[in-house]
Amino acid sequence: MSPDGAGTSTSAKQVQLTIDGVGVSVPQGTTIFDAARINGIEIPTLCHQQNETPAGVCRVCVVDVGQRVYAASCIRQADNGMVVKTNTEPVLNVRRTLFELLMADHPSPCARQQHSGDCELERRAAQAGVTQPRFPKRTIPRGHDDSSLVIAVDHEACILCDRCIRGCDEIRHFQVLSRRGKGYQAGVAFDNNLPMGTSSCHSCGECMVSCPTGALTNKRVIGQKLEGQSVDPEVLLTLPVFKNVSGTFLELNRNAIVERRFRAGDIICREGDFGATAFYITEGKAEVFLQSPIAHVKTEGGSHGFLSKLRSMLTSRQEDQRSEESSRPFIPIDASVDLPYQNPIAELGPGELFGEMTCMSYYPRSATVRAKTDCTMLEMLRNVLDIMQRNKTFREQLERNYKKRALDSHLRSVPVLAPLTPDFIEHLRDRVELQRFQPGQIICSQGEPADSFYLIRLGFVKVSQHHPGGDIVLAYLARGSYFGEMAFLTNTPRMATCTALDHVEVVRVPGEDFRLMLERFPDIRKKLEDAAAEHMEANRMRLRQVADVPVDQFLHQGLMEAQSLLILDLDRCTRCDQCVRACADAHDGVSRLIREGLRFDRYLVATSCRQCRDPLCMVGCPVGSIRRRNSLEVIIEDWCIGCGLCANNCPYGNINMHPFPVELDDPSHPGRKMASVKVKATSCDLCLNHAEPSCVYACPHDAAHRVNPPEFFAGLLKQPEMMKRR
Amino acid sequence: MHGYTTNSPRNQSPIYSGHEGGSCYTIRALLSFASKSSNSESNGASGIVFEQLRAIQRDFGYLPAEQLQALATQIKVPVSHIHAVASFYPHFHLTPPPKADVRVCADMSCHLLGGDAVKHHLETSFRGVDAQEVSIRDVSCLGRCDQAPAVMINDRIYAHVKSQEAVALAQDARSGKPLPEPFHDSKRMAVVSDPYDGTGQYTVVRRFVETRNWEGIIAALKEGGLRGMGGAGFPTWSKWDLVRKEPATPKYVVCNADESEPGTIKDRGIMENVPYLVIEGMITAGLVTGARKGILYIRHEYEYPKEVLQKEIDRCYELGFLGSRILGSDLAFDLEIFVSPGGYICGEESALLEAIEGKRAEPRNKPPFPVSVGLWGKPTVINNVETFCLATVILTKGAEWFKAQGKNGAFGTKFVGISGDVVRPGIFEVPMGITYNELLFEKAGGIPGGKALLGFAPSGPSSGYLPASMATLPLDWNEVAKAGSMVGSGAIVVCDETRCMLDMALNATRFYRNESCGKCVPCRMGSQKMVEMLKGWTEGRSSPGDMALLDELSSAMKLASICGLGQVVPVPIASVLKHFPNVVDDHLSRRHCPGGVCFSQ
Repeated sequence: MSPDGAGTSTSAKQVQLTIDGVGVSVPQGTTIFDAARINGIEIPTLCHQQNETPAGVCRVCVVDVGQRVYAASCIRQADNGMVVKTNTEPVLNVRRTLFELLMADHPSPCARQQHSGDCELERRAAQAGVTQPRFPKRTIPRGHDDSSLVIAVDHEACILCDRCIRGCDEIRHFQVLSRRGKGYQAGVAFDNNLPMGTSSCHSCGECMVSCPTGALTNKRVIGQKLEGQSVDPEVLLTLPVFKNVSGTFLELNRNAIVERRFRAGDIICREGDFGATAFYITEGKAEVFLQSPIAHVKTEGGSHGFLSKLRSMLTSRQEDQRSEESSRPFIPIDASVDLPYQNPIAELGPGELFGEMTCMSYYPRSATVRAKTDCTMLEMLRNVLDIMQRNKTFREQLERNYKKRALDSHLRSVPVLAPLTPDFIEHLRDRVELQRFQPGQIICSQGEPADSFYLIRLGFVKVSQHHPGGDIVLAYLARGSYFGEMAFLTNTPRMATCTALDHVEVVRVPGEDFRLMLERFPDIRKKLEDAAAEHMEANRMRLRQVADVPVDQFLHQGLMEAQSLLILDLDRCTRCDQCVRACADAHDGVSRLIREGLRFDRYLVATSCRQCRDPLCMVGCPVGSIRRRNSLEVIIEDWCIGCGLCANNCPYGNINMHPFPVELDDPSHPGRKMASVKVKATSCDLCLNHAEPSCVYACPHDAAHRVNPPEFFAGLLKQPEMMKRR
Repeated sequence: MHGYTTNSPRNQSPIYSGHEGGSCYTIRALLSFASKSSNSESNGASGIVFEQLRAIQRDFGYLPAEQLQALATQIKVPVSHIHAVASFYPHFHLTPPPKADVRVCADMSCHLLGGDAVKHHLETSFRGVDAQEVSIRDVSCLGRCDQAPAVMINDRIYAHVKSQEAVALAQDARSGKPLPEPFHDSKRMAVVSDPYDGTGQYTVVRRFVETRNWEGIIAALKEGGLRGMGGAGFPTWSKWDLVRKEPATPKYVVCNADESEPGTIKDRGIMENVPYLVIEGMITAGLVTGARKGILYIRHEYEYPKEVLQKEIDRCYELGFLGSRILGSDLAFDLEIFVSPGGYICGEESALLEAIEGKRAEPRNKPPFPVSVGLWGKPTVINNVETFCLATVILTKGAEWFKAQGKNGAFGTKFVGISGDVVRPGIFEVPMGITYNELLFEKAGGIPGGKALLGFAPSGPSSGYLPASMATLPLDWNEVAKAGSMVGSGAIVVCDETRCMLDMALNATRFYRNESCGKCVPCRMGSQKMVEMLKGWTEGRSSPGDMALLDELSSAMKLASICGLGQVVPVPIASVLKHFPNVVDDHLSRRHCPGGVCFSQ
């Protein structure tokens, strides 16, 4: 600053000053704060940390340097001849007032104080003798942000010391945090003022470690306990996937990650089981496979007339091709690979992760994993998985692995993309990118111009369309599905909004490459167009009804779409449950009929599927084996693993779990088979291959009927007052 | 910055895809980026951010999140930084603005002259109307104190507004009708000290090109005793000399034309009437210090003065007083106008520099001072409009002439703005030493309606209020300082006997609270708590410990705030407690407002 150039050489000049009456000598350029510290005088501060550039904003460290106003010692450099007083009565009074101001708005005890008793503001304020602030409390709320899986944000406890911002900018160079707003309304924001969880935050934890108060605290994992060898954060930090993560932060999450060792042959997790963890393989190999038979439930009538029992059996699609059955060659699972339909088994090795969806969204395990060799894995709860997933090194590794191993099978598992040539897949390899979305985040919006085509790698995407009167869910798409093609085919803006339902990861194909694909592969274009036309026709039918009917009556209208309906005339029904029993008798003891459901006028309606406005059954299937046909009826694909989630999710009880005896490999006796029971999801088929469903036949009161809805309800629907009944 | 992004895929969409006229914006942005980046430091990435934010706002009416994200991607700046800046300045809207965005000036002169009534009338007229249709809010001083009350509707400022007019304008805005062009009073003010009789001759520049006599200029300024007229009063010759001696280059000359303190309008008068004196002052400062670049930082509400200045700058380039070869010599000086994105805090010199650099206008910790570490970290002269103007006056008419101006033992001339309860509010050039009584009763025509003077602020809220008895004081730096106030920027605001000085103190404190940048704790928190306390007082509510607490709070704010704003927040109430003690007492112990202003609802 001065012409003679200060502080450029190592043999810096010394400056002499007096601090609290003591003469001290420090190198030129030293701050008063450091000069005092070196000489054993502690000056309190809130916003200053040794590893960050001083900001001088909390003003707690002010000292009297004999000028009109006090100087912030953290940022003011010591000058020759300076006389510094750090603890005169007026200086202490100023500090006390600052604590009193901050404490007035502080939600004391804040989260940090509650958890660990180390809120710096509360501690310092207490030391300064501030107990009951005399200023009125803040009245304008500043809010909480619970969106991050690992860090809780309490803006109420933020004192705008900027330590988190400097931690993010200077220490990690992520530049996610900034101040927002102005004056008393100022606060800290992530990115474009996004919730932390949806921001580009890397979950490195530096901001939380830097925060002096309860504004940023570590979220604990409640109710989850992991068995295994706890891992030292130091060890974790040596793994590239935890590069750039704060060690303190890992220490705080020590109980959320363990090391597991498996011997060859050990089962690590089973398909259909519930869980809350993901596994990262550090050593050895594992194989992932499906134990459930690859087949669907088929019901056949006996050969001796109607009184004979119906028979349900498992049938594969080779033997019994159903309409619109998927012909995909790969089964999507919750890992970085897909399983071939013909032989559903694959291998995972070091650096690979599985169980992400189970861990993030608590879906049932999608496949069984067995140790192929002796192996070591890190098993983690979602805190640690989130840290890892947001880590740049891990992302790069994941993306590399995905492009190398999974892209081909992923692309090929989409039947319409089957004609892609190896050279084009090679071209795409460098062009595609993985993108993550948080629950509720919009991936693309209706009406926007289209710039990408997407394949779903993880999670569920809701496709909805906005209409006057409300949004309609067109589909829930699971892993292995694609979306975003329509706008390219028709050269229009996006026709629907796609929203992440849970933690979603998509493979984004840039618009230009997708256009190129359509040009080069007319077959694909044709197939996509055909599929699109069918979707659009189905949608159009629905929309016609929506346009005429208010939203709250849509469900009633939805009945009209079913091919056939089972109705129970409640005026005749004596609730004798004969129908239910008959159904059970007909279906190996499992009733698919529950005498509960939607009531329409005096009828209780049971259909094979209600074509719900919002088909909840499709959310969460870990292997994506439930979907709708274009007729909007539900189809359950052969690779159903029998976890039962769809049956639980269906609000009308229209999906049932049907057990079948099967033979499985006996894990304790390799090579031997053992008898076991596997369940498969199935829905009421209205005994379609019979003249009359067994329930209808069984009803002694003539209350049960199978009807063709448009004909049956035609009369009823013409009366508007009927429509208003619920 | 993020190889793997968790953000919306809109990140990837080009700016404006699908928006009409989008391509032209993109091209405009790219062109401006290309032209600016060739001169990266002096123009910096900064001006570009504001320029681009303004362009987006022009086209969308606000700053949609995805546009900010696209801009961030385009100029390779973290979106958090762009949001930090965009959310700081009142000029930018982050949400779609209402059809009629009606902002009524709430500060000093407008508060005195019916601003509250206009706002109340607007609120009554649009009661029950959706906030997306019509929104009625306060706004900080718009710089129309001599034409109070002022109302801003969809960024157009209307002065002397009657309640009915305001409602009609708001109604028009709501129904999408084009709003009328605000009226500009382009009547010229006679400037006695103008050496050029209305047209800039730039004799100081001409002389310097020939003689290169910087010593003479420094000496003349020293001899003329010129001090910073923005209020701080730092000797101008010394500032220029310090920058001249700095070895670092490039250097900058910045003119602070961001006067935003309630009552402060004098720079507007100077810029509209003698723009050439300001520009010549800036060129001279550049020539003396070795700076080749000047930036005139003007508040965005001053559109007319900006036009006048721009014309004069264009004329200078034509005539060779500005440019890379001034009058054909090897001397160079370029000058551009920087329009402030808004906020009183930008008038604080280091905050102003931060704003030019495209950041949040948060004052810097000082030292270092701008003379050594200023714009882009380089030595920088920052002076007020009036300082540059008077420098030219001294250098043309001579220090002797300048010193001969003034009376009652003071010297020099000064521009003052007089507003509030006076018959002829306005901007006046007056000799130093003139008494406040003369200013109020002769220059400004006295108090309307034959009312008596209750008190006045010699320099807006930051000088505090003085009682009528002290209007005998001369306009003299030392004398007014001795009385515990300051000549400051000469923003004289007058209160007649029907006013409540406690209400005026609250009004001033509220202004500071609204304009605090929020960087440091004492100002951010203290101004809010002080407003709450004073608001309670005007409503007759107080706690026994209030006086002691106010004392402690005041001293913490004065001693520990980073910048002048936080340091002067306690001044208005302190001056009222000192000079009008009964007023406070009446409110607190008798629940009585002597002016009949408070307790009226």
